[in-house]
Amino acid sequence: MNESNPNPPSYPPQGNPNLPPPPILGARPLGEDPTEREPIANVIGAIEALLRQPRRLMFQLRQPGAGKIIAGMLFVAILCSAIYGVIVGSFSGGVQWWAAPVKVTTGLLISTIICLPSLYIFTSLSGAQARLIEIFGLVVGLLMLMTILLVGFAPVAWLFSQSTNHIAWMGFLHLLFWGISTAFGLRFLQAGFAHAKARSNSGLNTWAVIFVLVVLQMSTALRPLVGTSEDMLPKEKKFFLTHWFDSMGVKP
Amino acid sequence: MPNETTIAATEEFSTLLRAETAKVSVWTTEWQPRRIALHLAIIIIGAGCFGAAMGWWRAPQQGLYVALKFPLILLLTALGNALLNAMLAPLLGLNITFRQSLLAVLISFAITAAILGAFSPLIGFMVWNAPAMTADIKATLPYGFIKLTCTVVIAFAGIVGNVRLFQLLAQLGNSKAIATRVLLAWLSVNLFLGSQLTWIARPFIGSPQLEVVFVRDTALQGNFFENIWNTIRSFDLED
Repeated sequence: MNESNPNPPSYPPQGNPNLPPPPILGARPLGEDPTEREPIANVIGAIEALLRQPRRLMFQLRQPGAGKIIAGMLFVAILCSAIYGVIVGSFSGGVQWWAAPVKVTTGLLISTIICLPSLYIFTSLSGAQARLIEIFGLVVGLLMLMTILLVGFAPVAWLFSQSTNHIAWMGFLHLLFWGISTAFGLRFLQAGFAHAKARSNSGLNTWAVIFVLVVLQMSTALRPLVGTSEDMLPKEKKFFLTHWFDSMGVKP
Repeated sequence: MPNETTIAATEEFSTLLRAETAKVSVWTTEWQPRRIALHLAIIIIGAGCFGAAMGWWRAPQQGLYVALKFPLILLLTALGNALLNAMLAPLLGLNITFRQSLLAVLISFAITAAILGAFSPLIGFMVWNAPAMTADIKATLPYGFIKLTCTVVIAFAGIVGNVRLFQLLAQLGNSKAIATRVLLAWLSVNLFLGSQLTWIARPFIGSPQLEVVFVRDTALQGNFFENIWNTIRSFDLED
């Protein structure tokens, strides 16, 4: 009765070490639900889908003609980042009314362009089967989610920018809002890549760290965003942590 | 004899307080001007009465100002975060619309305001029994007691409002885990904005040395969190 198996299976099951690890499982195939196959008509539909049915948006990004949706999403991201930029500029007023939105928008776009090739490489190395247009679409989705959330934070940010004179405090607040928005954006990106049959998430996680660092450094390279300066762009180059410590009056 | 509208409003008010979430969740599915007006009225009257009782100690005019400021803080918090709350809910797993999220927050604020309103006669009675405000009032026991009582009542009303909101969110999303996530996110952003609005709207109880004003000239100088930070730093320096 109590026969013991001479070759008990090992737990967790060990695969053939010569073969690549299997793709990450657990994600339902996109388009399984008929509602996910409903086409997205316009940008409002894309915003709705991003918030409520992200799988529908991910499915649509894989279909022919996704370029139109991506262009619309990019437009929304640019518009929303400009709106939040106005809020950032409202702290100092003057030139910053237009300089801050321009810097916030271009900074985000340049950061994305800089990071896009590395995302493609990292995800391909992870075994993900996604075309460049899909990857671009997902990154634009990240940008759109991040910036519409920033617009959601805008009333709070505006209230604080009108009631404080402390640049470091305002900088911290904008970073906090940006951090929360980025976390949601990266979650969307990760969910999107879960359907790309990647063997591991490590490439994507590494890229997320790189993206965050690039945007933070971009905010320092394009300073001042919150305060004012005689020069539109800085003459002195600084690492973002050094800039933060300087702004807080702390010696690193 | 009360008319039908009054009876319906009274019944809805009872339903709200009894937390009949199945019924209340249906209220969030459509804009009903009469019902929204009822919730706004509860907020304005409830929070207004509490504010009036609190400010009355300093001067009747201060009572009037605080009666206006208290409901304004609640309404501006709900409106200021409406868009953000509506975006956070689906992102955290609760697929509700902008209307549903705004109405859910309004309902919870209405419950909080109803509780505040119910306590306002008690606060008014305490203030009526308190000695007149003098220059050294802040160092006296009645001042500390009234301030503490107001804080406890506001905290209690806030907690009950949020418990009711949690029940409503759990009903809307059929999941306590999702309701907890959404409630925590909404609480964080509402507390963040609400505390700053409260800071701007000072004074509430008022001070005999200072003039009775709607908001101070320095209302937009500094913020609530900066003040807490400076207080912590001052402790540090004293050590």
